[in-house]
Formats: sequence, C-alpha cells, structure tokens
Amino acid sequence: MKKALHRMWKDRILYLILAPTILYFVVFRVWPMINMRLAFYDYNARGPWTFAGLKYFKLVFSSPAFGDILKNTLIISFMKYVLLFPFFVIFAIVLNELRLKRFRQYVQVVSYLPHFLSWVVIAGIWMSFLGPSPTDALNEILGWFGVAPVSLLTSKGAIRWVLFLCEGWRSLGWDSIIFFTTILNISPDLYEAAKMDGANRWNIIRYVILPALVIPMTTVFILNLGFFMSAGFDQVYNFTNNAVNSVIDILDTYINRVGIENAQYSIGTAVSLIKGVVGVVLVLMTHVTSKKLTGEGVW
Amino acid sequence: MTKKRKPLGILQWVIMAILFLITLSMLIPLLHILARSLSDPSQSTAMGGLEIFPRGFSLMNYQIIFSNPNIMPAVLNSIFITLVGTLINITLTIMAAYVLTRPGLVGKKILMVFFIIMMLFDPGIVPEYMVIKSLKLMGSQWSVILCQAVNVYYLIIMMRYFQEVPQDIYEAAKIDGAGHMRTLFSVAAPLAKAGIATLTMFYGVVRWNEYYRAGIFISSISKVPLQVILRRFVVDGDVTTLVGTQNLMDYNELVANLDFTALQYATIVVAVIPILIIYPFVLKFYTKDAMAGGVKG
Repeated sequence: MKKALHRMWKDRILYLILAPTILYFVVFRVWPMINMRLAFYDYNARGPWTFAGLKYFKLVFSSPAFGDILKNTLIISFMKYVLLFPFFVIFAIVLNELRLKRFRQYVQVVSYLPHFLSWVVIAGIWMSFLGPSPTDALNEILGWFGVAPVSLLTSKGAIRWVLFLCEGWRSLGWDSIIFFTTILNISPDLYEAAKMDGANRWNIIRYVILPALVIPMTTVFILNLGFFMSAGFDQVYNFTNNAVNSVIDILDTYINRVGIENAQYSIGTAVSLIKGVVGVVLVLMTHVTSKKLTGEGVW
Repeated sequence: MTKKRKPLGILQWVIMAILFLITLSMLIPLLHILARSLSDPSQSTAMGGLEIFPRGFSLMNYQIIFSNPNIMPAVLNSIFITLVGTLINITLTIMAAYVLTRPGLVGKKILMVFFIIMMLFDPGIVPEYMVIKSLKLMGSQWSVILCQAVNVYYLIIMMRYFQEVPQDIYEAAKIDGAGHMRTLFSVAAPLAKAGIATLTMFYGVVRWNEYYRAGIFISSISKVPLQVILRRFVVDGDVTTLVGTQNLMDYNELVANLDFTALQYATIVVAVIPILIIYPFVLKFYTKDAMAGGVKG
C-alpha cells in the first residue's frame, strides 16, 4: 500500500497529464449519468425536482407506441447487425481472391469512401438515387426492364430494406477492413501446408481463412451488440418521413422527439435509462458467453 | 517472378463484374450530384439521375448559395468547430494514451474499467442537454466542441500505437533527464505519428460531419455549422434557409425557375470537398497495409 502511494506520488505528473481527460468524462459523461435520476423525478426548471417514483416508467410501458418502437428497434438492429454481418466477411474474402491487384485497389478506394460522408449527405445522395420521379436513378434503371416507377423512401414495406441496403452501401468496404487485414496476416506456411494436402481455393477458404476470421468476427459481433438498442439513430433520423415513420421509429428517435422536441425530459430520460441498461447487459452477456465458448471476448 | 500467369477464370470475371457494379452505385450518385450542381439551372431540372455530365456548364448554383448570407458563416463555423475540436480531441487523446501505456502505472486497471464503462453506457441526449444547460453553454459553439472531447475507442487505438514504441527509447529519454511532457511530445509522439495522423483525420471527419448536437445546442442560424443548414434543406425541405430570402426574390426574376435540387447538390458538394481532401491521407496512413498487401496463397 505504502509502496503504491509512493509510486503514485512519484508519477504525479502522469496523473496530472491524465486529469483533463478524466475531468472531461466526469463532466460530460458521469454528470449526465447522475442526471439520469430525472427518470424518477418530475422536472422543474426553477426549483428542485420532485420525486415521482416509477411514474414515467409506467407511462412509457403503458403507452401503445412503446411496444412498436421497441419492435422497430430490434428488427432494424437485427437486419443491420446480424443479417448484414456475413457480407462484410464475404467482401473481405472476395477482395482477397481477386487476382488483378489494380482492380482490387480501385474497389478499395471507392468502397471505403462512403464511410466518411455525413449522414445528412448520405440521406441527400439516397434521396436523389431513390427519388419518386421516373427520371431519378433507380426508376430509370427499372424503366429499362419495363418496371413502373417506385417511391421506396415513402413505402412502409420497403423502407427498412432501404436502411439495410444503405447501411451496407456505407460500411461494406470500411467494416470489412478488419477481416481483410486478418486474412493478409495469415502465415504463408498455413497456405503452403494446405496446398501440400491438396487443398483447392474453396478448401483454403473453408479450412484456413474462415478459422482465422473467428476471432475478429467474435469481437465485432459483440461490439455490434452494444449498438443493438441504438439501431443507428443518425441514419433513421435523416431518412424518416411521415409516410414511413411508424415502421422505423426507434428508441433514439423517440427519445429525441419526446425528450428534446416536446421537452418531456423525464420520459426521454426514462427511455434512455432502459435502453442503456439493456445495452450494457447485452454486451456483458455476450462477452461472458463468448469468453466461455471461444476464449475470446472484447477485452 | 517466374510464376506463369494463368488466365482469369469465369468466377474471377463474375466477381469483378459484381464488385464493379457495387462501386458504380457509389460513384454514379456522387458524380451525378456534382454534375447537376455544375449545370445550367434552366436545363438541369430535366436531368436524369444517371447522368454524370453537366448540362450546360454554369456556376450559378454556387453563386446563389454563397450569396446567401447563411452559407459562408456556416462554412466558417464548421471550420472553426472542426479545427478547435480536433485539436482538443487529439491533444487529450495523446496525453491520456501516453499515461495509460506507462509500465507500472498504479490504478491502470481501475482507469481502464472507468473508460470502458464510459464507452458502453450512453446516458442519452436529455441528461447531456441538462448538463450543457447547467454549464450555461447553450447557444455556444463550445457546447459541441467540449461535449465530445475524447472518444474511448480512439483512445484505445492510440494506446496500441504507443505500445509499439520500443521501451528502450523511454529509458533513454529518462536517463537524459527528460520529464514526462517532454518525453511525450518530443520522443513518443514523433514515433507514433502514423497513429496520431490517422486519429486526427478520424476525429476531424467526425467533427466536420457533426450535425445533431449542433442542431440542438446551438440554435442561432449564424452560429450553426454547415451540416445543420444542409439537413434543414435536404431532410426538412426548408428552401428559404438554404437559398436566402433575398436570393429567392432576386434570382426568380433572372431565371424562370431555380433548380432547388441542384442548389441542394451544390451544398452537398461543399460539404463533401473537405472529406475528399482528407481522404487520400486516410488511404495513405490507415489503409496503406491493407491496400499494399499482395495476393497470398
């Protein structure tokens, strides 16, 4: 104990260098966490908040909209983080199989770019691409095949798939980098050994490349579960419109609408609290399960 | 290389065709937006979504948006928030990552748990809004700058870069009598400069693209960044904010009708240009290894 204290005193400059970062987190993260007690209180702009017990949680759970919002969140997250997931791995494997190196670099340069565009810009691009007019890009293409113009952005049946495709469009390149570099780092000896055993390309993918990808896949999957309750707020917030809002209204858009736009602070906070707790439990559960099964977790 | 080149099989061509179509879905919309923004407004309303060349070259759309008194200040606001914000981001991240990678630091484990909790648990926008209010930062650009000062995920990446710096160098610096601040900025930082460059760009992109908190915390139109204005036009369809009241009256007399879509595209182009400037450096620093890797197996 005394030794540790002595060491800390000796390193006092180090703690001083770390202090601004800690201060930042205390003010902008810990303080908001303490503010979350607002979920159990009635807000008062001038005086102290008055205790309200579980009033706001009851309000949230009894509102008919909440069930739909929770369902939308889980469906959209499932599409983005489970259904889309294999495509990143496939994309990395396919890139690795490409024999024309120039072409591969071209694909990389183009496919990494959308990740860096803001969601506002991406919404602008997709609105232009999927616009309802017969001259807008998608409808023009459909026209070649004699299909009548569609308006996917205002179609309840299509909008979730639009979000799914758009998420893939934005992340396909960037999110596959981790898998691609893992493949590049596979020891050449493993390939040699596989070839000696007479393995063809498919065997190599199946028995050399895929096993190497298990570790990054586990990590990414667990981290994705951390986003499961968010379902990608920025995308939904910029793609939504009156025609489709009921099928893509998610927890975070609800929090924004009720908590910020309508200034119902306690309800907004209550939903954030539910969302935060469930999110952390999801990550911890998967982390522990994965540690038991594969010996790999996130940390 | 004496290896004989085998001809590309059918599968290779099929894969290449599919990948090429995917890249077209990324390139064509961007080129179309650029083309329509550079077109003559009297012709561009009829443009098809797949056209990637301007119809009758004209800078009219850019003249209009830049003569709108809202746009230039918004661009400057974006630049200010991005520069100051990124500087704070990277300075704090480097300092914290340096400390957390010192061998034998007492309390490192507790600190890491603290940071992981900060990463996993998001208190949400309302409690954050309350803090900004309590700090009297509402309406100020500092609200946005300060409320996202360190990203834990990037902090962990920075720690990895510092861990790769050989320990002997720190020992040598210590023997030379260099203090921690000097060791950090004149020994460790230069050796981890690829990491610093990468994270500076990542932070910069996030800053430039920020619109949500800026829209909530900074309400005054003269102080918001460009993305907020762009959102009002693209998502909310608010024409007046983007074009400006005066412009709407002036230009309607000159041109039969303005191409509002092209004006929106011109603003998108302005918002994307800084990203395109940064992009080659991202490729150079972050994805260099991935791009250079040869075909193995």
